Amino acid sequence: MPNWFRLTKAVLVAGSLMASAAHAEETVTWWDFLSGGDGVRMKQLISDFNAAHQGKIKIDATTLEWGTPFYAKVQTSAAVGEAPDIMTYHASRIPLAVKQGILQEITADHWKTMGLSQSDYAPATWDAVTSDGKQYAVPLDTHPIVLYYNKDLLKKAGVLGDDGKPKGMDSRENFTATLKALKEAGVKFPLGSVTADGNFMFRTIYSFMGQQDGELMTDGEFLAGDNAKKLENALSVLADWTKEGLQSTYTDYPATVALFTSGEAAMMINGVWEVPTMTDLAKNGKLFDWGAVELPVIFDHPSTYADSHSFAIPANKGKEMSPEKRAAVLEVMSWISKNSLFWATAGHIPAYGPVTNSAEYKAMEPNATYSSLTTNMIFDPKTPLAGIAGPIFDVMSNFFVPTLNGEMEPAEAVEEIKAGLEDL
Amino acid sequence: MLRNRRRETLFALALVAPFVAIYGLVFVYPTIKLFMISLTDAPLIGGGNYVGFDNYTRLASDRRFNTAVWNTAYFVLITVVPGTLIAFAIALGVNRLRGRLQAAILALFFLPYILPVSVVYLLWDWTLNFQFGIAMHVFDLLGIQRIPVFKSTAWFMPAVGVITIWWTAGFSILLFLAGLRAIPAEIYEAAALDNAGIWSTFRRITWPLMWPITALVLTIQLISQLKIFDQVYLFSTGGRPNDNVVLVYYVFQRAFQSDQGGRAAAVAVVLFIIVIVVSVLNFQLTRLSGGRSR
Repeated sequence: MPNWFRLTKAVLVAGSLMASAAHAEETVTWWDFLSGGDGVRMKQLISDFNAAHQGKIKIDATTLEWGTPFYAKVQTSAAVGEAPDIMTYHASRIPLAVKQGILQEITADHWKTMGLSQSDYAPATWDAVTSDGKQYAVPLDTHPIVLYYNKDLLKKAGVLGDDGKPKGMDSRENFTATLKALKEAGVKFPLGSVTADGNFMFRTIYSFMGQQDGELMTDGEFLAGDNAKKLENALSVLADWTKEGLQSTYTDYPATVALFTSGEAAMMINGVWEVPTMTDLAKNGKLFDWGAVELPVIFDHPSTYADSHSFAIPANKGKEMSPEKRAAVLEVMSWISKNSLFWATAGHIPAYGPVTNSAEYKAMEPNATYSSLTTNMIFDPKTPLAGIAGPIFDVMSNFFVPTLNGEMEPAEAVEEIKAGLEDL
Repeated sequence: MLRNRRRETLFALALVAPFVAIYGLVFVYPTIKLFMISLTDAPLIGGGNYVGFDNYTRLASDRRFNTAVWNTAYFVLITVVPGTLIAFAIALGVNRLRGRLQAAILALFFLPYILPVSVVYLLWDWTLNFQFGIAMHVFDLLGIQRIPVFKSTAWFMPAVGVITIWWTAGFSILLFLAGLRAIPAEIYEAAALDNAGIWSTFRRITWPLMWPITALVLTIQLISQLKIFDQVYLFSTGGRPNDNVVLVYYVFQRAFQSDQGGRAAAVAVVLFIIVIVVSVLNFQLTRLSGGRSR
């Protein structure tokens, strides 16, 4: 019988080992929509996290399609209890999510457990994840738009300042003069703009509205008072640039990036998420000397539209989260926030203050140059109608394309936008 | 032999039961549910309060719904009859070829049909993109002003119409070819003996004998074009979705973007009724005209 005895013992030992392993390691299901250069960096962060939490927590990540497909899936799966344990979420979509009841609140206790607090974030960022005084997500970053520029072309046209930044960033007249100088120097498109994609232009136009303290929504009313006029002003600036041939027309997103990187457009207004594209090209010696700065001040004061990638916990219907699972999820959010310096290489500005205040971050270029704009950020209006791929986006963008390409007068577009918004 | 009718009925019922059950589950039940949701103010997920016919009455003054109806009608107009005629003409041409050549040419015409819509979109965007499209370089060579095809309302629907015909003609061509091959050669021989010309052979023999196939193709085309969504969705991304909106796209916008399940359901019901009315009408009309020419 010694054989029997030994076998039983081995089985018992193996069994208890497996049981303890299963007990100790908590698997966190993760969904995100990051499929570009930032997606690669997020995968790196996730595997770093897994390595640091070997045997304790394991992130099982899936990347889904950005925009409406992602949010439609989250909504339907939360309703039947099949949503993940943690997901990335745009702060601009939080009001709608709260109305739909698909997010769990991040309570004061949770913040304490994570070792994060309000003072770690810029006020605008904290406010963006807050709805009715409660927080529904942990901000990971803010991703504004910036002005990319080709230093070689600017120098040739004599519009590169001594500080290495473009000249004429302080007013509409001066910036237009810079564009004209570039045109005269033989640049095909002084400014590359995503003029074929109204969704994208929403960011630029909303920034220009913010520079005049304009609001899209005042107490539930769209474009109240002189806000309509401010929208018209913002549109006129861009429409005039088109009229004077200073800006690329009917250009979609990939074409805009291509125009800039191939040197046909000297400047480009685009999201910070294109920073990795430029860095990688420059590293391989395939790019000119480039830079990125905060948007020019066209109106009264600096202001830039931003959104925030944040982490949220879905409210799975009929499925209570175990305390062990919640602890694991909180650890994921905390660890990644505190290690988000690497995330900055994706261009995004980390939301966690101690990271952006660190010496390492301040040495990162061009990130450190444009990160000053966090004090001038504006987020989407807080309404279930706002946000990435939301109805407001749609209605407005519909009239941006004809206006920015000289088919429609700005005043007419504003009328149409107002009527369209009221139809919602 | 004596037959037990009761047993036979039971047996028949048992045989059709799986189909009836599945049909009821995936078609009848959702349809009834759709009608019920359309009378409420439900969001995309979950129930709502009963609001009567509000969702329907507000459609009358809904500008985007109006645009959607007109765009859908316009799209049907520019694709259904032209698409059918073009497919017929190509089938007639292919039918005159023989052997390997016929197979090769047929394959060329059929090729686009097997492409998924996303590939169709990429191909045509690559061709007609305003900045980098290859067609635009041809325009430049010929000295023609570049046209932002998918970004202007005047060009959008015609362009999507042409692409749709290019994409889906393959299937109609196959149907027409099958029909042409089913016409006995003797009839043509008899006509040739009677000294009939090409035009009268076509008008008196081919066209009337092909009419059932033509009617079938027309009906298939009509129903599928009324339900157009993918092409419009892909080609209008970022551009002017609300000016190029079609009915199914509008349902999608209401349901998935605005989170208004009730209002989306109402639009879906209207589309459902339009499809039924139009296809019954189309079927009756083609039947009547087919009967007369025989």
